[in-house]
Parts: sequence; structure tokens; C-alpha cells
Amino acid sequence: MQVPAFIVDKSSEDQNVEIVRRPSEDKCAECPELRGNECRARMALSDYRPGQKGKVVQVCGNPDFRRRMMEMGFVKGTEVSVVKYAPLNDPMELVLMGYHVSLRKDQAADIIMNAPDKAA
Amino acid sequence: MPLTKQLETPRTTMKKLTVALAGNPNAGKTTLFNALTGARQHVGNWPGVTVEKKEGVLKYAGREIHVIDLPGTYSLTAYSLEEIIARNFIVESRPDVVVDVVDASNLERNLYLATQLLEMGAKLVIALNMIDVAQGRSINIDEKKLSELLGVAVIPTNGKKGVGIEELLRSAIEAAESGAGPDRQRSVNYGTEVEEELAKIEEALVPVAAIVNGLSRRWLAVKLLEGDSEIAKKIEAAPNLEGIFKQVDHSRKHLTDIFADSPEIILTDARYGFASGAVRRAVQLEATDRVHLSEAIDRMLTHRLVGPLILFLVIYLLYTFTFQGSEPFVSAFKAFFKWLGAQMSAALPEGLLKSLVVSGIIDGVGGVLGFTPLIAFMFFAIAVLEDTGYMARIAFMLDRVLRGFGLHGASMLALMVSGGIAGGCAVPGIMATRTLKEPKERLVTILVAPLMNCGAKMPVYALLIGAFFADKQARMMLLLTVISWVMALTAGKIIRSTVLKGPSAPFVLELPPYRTPTLRGLLIHTWERTWMYLKKAGTVILAVSIVLWATMTFPSLPKEKTQAYEEREQKLVADFLSNPSVAPVFKSETDIEEFEKVRAEVAAGKSDAVATQNPALLELIRSLGRSNATDAVAPASSGPAGSKSLAEVYAAFSRQKKAIEGEKLSAQLQNTVGGRIGTALETVFRPMGFDWRTNVALLGGFAAKEVVVATLGTAYSLGEVKSEAAESLTEKLQKEPGWNPLVAFTLILFVMLYNPCLTTLVVIKKESGKWRWTLFAMVYTTVLAYCVALVVHSVGSFFGLGVT
Repeated sequence: MQVPAFIVDKSSEDQNVEIVRRPSEDKCAECPELRGNECRARMALSDYRPGQKGKVVQVCGNPDFRRRMMEMGFVKGTEVSVVKYAPLNDPMELVLMGYHVSLRKDQAADIIMNAPDKAA
Repeated sequence: MPLTKQLETPRTTMKKLTVALAGNPNAGKTTLFNALTGARQHVGNWPGVTVEKKEGVLKYAGREIHVIDLPGTYSLTAYSLEEIIARNFIVESRPDVVVDVVDASNLERNLYLATQLLEMGAKLVIALNMIDVAQGRSINIDEKKLSELLGVAVIPTNGKKGVGIEELLRSAIEAAESGAGPDRQRSVNYGTEVEEELAKIEEALVPVAAIVNGLSRRWLAVKLLEGDSEIAKKIEAAPNLEGIFKQVDHSRKHLTDIFADSPEIILTDARYGFASGAVRRAVQLEATDRVHLSEAIDRMLTHRLVGPLILFLVIYLLYTFTFQGSEPFVSAFKAFFKWLGAQMSAALPEGLLKSLVVSGIIDGVGGVLGFTPLIAFMFFAIAVLEDTGYMARIAFMLDRVLRGFGLHGASMLALMVSGGIAGGCAVPGIMATRTLKEPKERLVTILVAPLMNCGAKMPVYALLIGAFFADKQARMMLLLTVISWVMALTAGKIIRSTVLKGPSAPFVLELPPYRTPTLRGLLIHTWERTWMYLKKAGTVILAVSIVLWATMTFPSLPKEKTQAYEEREQKLVADFLSNPSVAPVFKSETDIEEFEKVRAEVAAGKSDAVATQNPALLELIRSLGRSNATDAVAPASSGPAGSKSLAEVYAAFSRQKKAIEGEKLSAQLQNTVGGRIGTALETVFRPMGFDWRTNVALLGGFAAKEVVVATLGTAYSLGEVKSEAAESLTEKLQKEPGWNPLVAFTLILFVMLYNPCLTTLVVIKKESGKWRWTLFAMVYTTVLAYCVALVVHSVGSFFGLGVT
């Protein structure tokens, strides 16, 4: 379907901003798999820009949260792409396994991803 | 498409089967349930909780099939109430077969639940629902392959069109009645290390088999390994409990060491591995870059700038639809109860019974039942928002704003309906919180919703603003709207950081594709929720209406006082009759009564009744009609009446008579329990300028806030005052020395905030499930109202604002 021109999403314009945010040291400590430097080579899902796509490496945070996220499909290797951010920049809309889900950014910050494939 | 026809002839006795519908939220479970059972369904709550339980019965192939709609869940861990309910039903009630409704367009995540159902050892059939949507997205599912992989029947269905329903029923019956059942079913293999540990736990569980009869031992072992506390409780009676727990502990440690992660995470991972393996082998995805229609719509509806505008438009439309659309029906309901009251009034003899039936029961219950059309319209509108998928987008867009106040994106709708724009109603608002799945956020929303400006507060505002702020009505209403939002959000923040402290549940909001709802689904939704409201409201409100009526009626005035009023009245009548201009027309008290009756008939437009009447009386009616406009304000004549016309004399007489009656009613009210409480409360409410009359009116407002106006009328000796005709009360208040704009404003704020009305309280109890929270709502709102009123009145007095 042709989308009317006036609603083209402008939020994708500032995509080239370099991502500086990394999951904090604390969060890495919670992840048994990602202690230390390896973690810092990754990127939090909350730092993805709209249109970016990548794979889940690990879900951090408390056990209930990790479990819940995994049950929703955020398991290692799942491809997740960011569709958009809400009008006030939070929460964010994601697509994984063919369905759309919305997470708050502070939760997405606990989902560690590899570097995004590409900017759409 | 209800299934009434039977494919086989019924056997001698009808076989009974229980089918449980499990599935993810948004998988079309409810639509499929409706397609299966049609209108023959019963909606209630699961015992002890406020999660909806739906049951339906259908007859098929000589069986009576009971279908139970389990709550929609993503998983069956003990994560939420819904999950525990669904799991316990499968484990404890042992349905003959579980139908897992799977969204074909979202197979992988949906199969995750299936892996757990397989593990539980339930006889499973998979309904591959919304197969049309999947095909539309070029997702080709080989259901035979999938069936082979899982070891269960997989039936493509389309609940909306009724496709595959019969085949599903046939497979369900077959699965239920085949002895072998679960043995053929496959379940997740967790890999050597985990399986070894599971085997050890299973072995330890052998002696438990008697306790948890029929429960799959493997499932128990898996749950124990996952550290599920609910399950640990179930085997408390096991003889070798200690041995089991020791083994579980050991296994958990062992696996944590090997995998450097907790067993529940490993198992979750493995289940997804199984699900995605099945999907890889059974599903062919044709690559398309086409933007789905749903995504295109979403791009506009949740757009940064256009999205919020559309949202406001939608809320505005919802409002108009709910309140204006239901208006004629609400009026009809109210008219009916008014008519009923009038009928009963006429049929019953004067006295307590009449007062109880008319003022207590009909006014009380009628006031509540009068809401029914409004509720039904609101539920319909909400069903549309839910079934189309827009509700989730509202939550998505507004979550950031409301989160700051301890609320949830979906709280917005409840607050708007409750009176976010002045004139809503907290009853449908609180019921609308059902769309909120996070328990804490939902409870906070329920607790703050009554602070919004509902329609019942409007008559009070109208009266007081009209009396003291007549020149700035619009500005006052805007101010009151802002104040109620500030109060509700602040209260939310405070409650969330004190009474309901603690981290919020993870915000996981699925954004389902936009769908066209079916009218049938919408109507079923609307009807079942409305019916539940009616059932609850009917009983509790009847009881409380009677209690409130009694407090405002008993004890009646002591005899001597009643006599004193009667004597004054008799003297007035005697004086009137002895007046020279009256004597020729009115000879006794009966004549006066007759005349009043005729006058009422003329006023009601029944002119034919008048034709036979005395011409002198007719003339009197006409002149009284002319002087009507000045009647109310004309000062009571006290001089000799001889020089005046009959009309003037009669007008003065009738005014004085009303005044005496009003005084009597007022004295009566002050003497009742309610009046005494009002008087006793004077010390408490003096600091904000309320006297006993205001206090007793506020007490009356417990039933419904509009009652405040009526009770104020009685207390200010005006007799019965209808809230819509409060003009004379306005003047009275303006003249009363105790009143000034500051007191009026203080009272407005108090009415806005204090104790939610009776119906709202009943709904709070119903939706929160606890009297504790109902009581909390009463106390905190009243304390808040008192504090705000006190501060406003004190500050206002100090600066001399609004004190004339």
C-alpha cells in the first residue's frame, strides 16, 4: 500500500549518530555469559535506531524479567528489528518472529544484541 | 456459525466431554470460542479472582461438549495470575482434551506454549488459527508435517469465518476418546545433561505418583527443576519430600555449573529451539518486501505528530458515542423508574412503606440501573478498540506520560471514560481497566479513577458555579478539569510509591495486526460484560440504598414538634379561610385541596378536567399563572389581606404554607441519624465553612453525588428539590450568611474528591476483588478531600479571597 507522503517517518533521519551507550558494567556482571570485555563489544537493543536489525546475544536483568523476555521470544539468535519509537521516544516497537511487540527502553537496555546488520 | 447439526445419530446417553481452549493472547481464541459455542455461553469469574472465565456448551456427534476458554497466556510458568489459572485448570480439572489455539501467522512464539502443553501430558489438538492471515502473508504451513513433528492433530481454522470448526471438533473427540493419546505426542528433548537430571528427579518422584494422580511425572520434574514454587506446594504431602528437594537442589546446582546459567533459562531456550526447529521444517516463507496493510495503517496511527491527534479524535468520538449515543436510552430508563415511582406512589398508602419503596428502593436502585445503557455503549466502544487492535496503540503512545505517575499507557482510556473530559462516569471507567494486565498499575488506575469529574458531580458544580461564579462558568469548568487530572495523577504517584510500592511488571505489550472486528463478537463482548455489571449492581446496591434511606428517615420528629408545625399550618389555613375575599370561594380545607388538584391538572395540560369547574376558581388559576413569575420573589405579605385580590391572598397563603412544610422537612432531616451525624460533624467541617446542612448533603452524596443537591434543598427547607430545577436553591445560597464564593469553591473541591459513590465502590470491590481496597478508596479519597478543602479554605481566608 502506498503511504501518503505527509506521514513519512522523519525519525529515521538522524540515524547516523554514533552509538556511545553501552550496557553498564553492572548489567554485564549479572550475565554469566558476558562478564568482562566481551559484553562491551555488543550493543543494547535500546540503542538500535528505527529500521535496524540484529540478533539477540543475551538478556540481562533479574531472573523473572529474563525468563519473561525469553518466553516472548528474546532467545539467543532471534532476529529483532526496531520498527519505531513511540511519539515521546519511549516505549519502542519491535518485530521478532513475525510479530510486533512494544518494550520500554529501560527494559530493552537489558537485551544485549550484536551490532545491527544495517540501517534500513 | 453455531454448530447445531449433528453428524451422527445420538447414542442412548449423551457422552460428556470437556474441552479447554488454551492459547496466546491475540491468537483469535475468543473468536474461535464464539464460533464453537455461539451465544450459549456463560461468563463468570474464576473462583476468588477477577479473571474472566467463559464456558459454553455445544452438542456435536452425539456428545455434549463443554468448552472452557482459558485465559490467554504466552506461557504456563507461574508468572501471572492468568498463567496459574490456565495451568491449574489443566492439571486439576483434567479436561478431556486441550485445544491449543495457535496464530498461524506467528507460529514460532505460539508453539512455545504448545511445547509446554505437550510436556504436561494433556491430550492436545492444535487449531492452526487465522490460517487466512498467514496465507495472505505468504506463510505456507505444511500442517501434516507439523502434526508429524509434534505428534498431535493440527487443524487449520479460521474462527471468523467458521472454517475448520467441524474438523477441529472431530479431532478433539478422537483425541479425547483414543486411549493412547499422549504417548504419540512428542515433547522437547532438553539435551543429555538436562535429561539425565530430569530422569533422576523423576525417579525420586515415583513414590509421589499416588498424590498427584494423573499428573505427568516428567512435567513435575521439569517444573521442579525450574524452581517453580507453586508446584513445590503441590507435592508437600510426598513421603520423601526431603529427598526430592535434595535431588532438585543438586540437579539445579549441577546444571548451573555446566551451563553457567539457571535451569529455567536453559529450558526456556531449549523449548524455543524445539519450536523454531518445528517451524523451520514445516513452514515455507516466501520472501516478500511488500509492506503489509496493517503496518501501513500503523505508520499513520502511531506517527509522531499525526498519531496523537488521531488519538484525541478517537477518544472524543468514543466519548460522544458513549455519552450522547446512550442518552436517549438512559432517559428512557430514568423515565421508566420515574413512572414506576409515580405508580407506586399512587398505589401505596402514605407512610413509611411508601417512603421506603419510592425514595429508598426505586430511587436508589433505579439510579444505578439507569446507568445500564451507558455501560453497554461504553463496553461496545471499548470492544471495538480492543478487537481492532487500536487499544494496544493507545497504550503504546501514552505509556511514557502515564508511567511517570505509576500508571500504564492503557490507564489513559479508563481515566478519560471516568471523566477526563468533564461528564464521564467512573463505573465504566473502572470496568475498562480490564484491558490492563499489569496488576499494580491496574489497581492504581482503579483507585484514582473516581477522582475524575464524572457526570454526577456536574449538578453540584452547576449549582455552586451558577450561584457564586456565574460570570466565569467556562473558566471554572476548565480549572476543575485540570485540578481533577492533577489530583488523579498525583494520587497515582503517591499510592504507587507507598501502598503499592515495588517494581512494575515488565511492560510487554503485543501490538497485534489491525483487524476488522465481527459484529457478533462485539455484541457478545458487550452483552456479557453488561450482564455481569447488572447482576452485581442489583444486589449490593439494593441493600445499601435501604440503609441510606433509613439514616435519612429515622428517627422521625418527636410528636410535640410535629404538632407544633401542624398547629401553625392549621392556624394559617384558618386565617386564610376567614379572609373576606376568600370566604365566598373556599369554604373548607377540602376545597383548598381540591383546588390544588385542579391547578396541577391544568398545569399538566389536562384542560378537559377543568371544563366543569367553578368559573371563580378558573379565574384564580389564570391570575395565579400570570403572577407565577413574580410569585417566588415577592415578599410575604403580612398586612391585612382585605384590600388585596383573591389571587394575591392565595399566593401569599400558598407561599407561607410551603415555608412551614419546608421548615418541617428540614427539622425532620436534622433530627434523623443522618442529620445528627451532620450536626456532629460540624466541628470537623467548620474550618472549611460547612454547616450541618452541607454535611448531611455530603452524607447523602455517598449514594450518588447528584444527591448532594437534592439533600441541600431539603436541608434549606425547600421541600423536595430536583437537581435540574435548583434555581431557587441558588438564590437561597447566595443570601445565606454562611456562604461565599470561597466556601462554594471549597465544597466543589470536596465533592470532586471525597468518597466515591456507592455504585463506584461496588465496582471497585468487584474489579479489585478485595473489600480492603474498597475501604482504602473510601478512606484515602475522603482524607484527600478534607486536606485539600482545608488548605484551600484556610489559604483563601488568609488572603481574603472569595470572602464577600
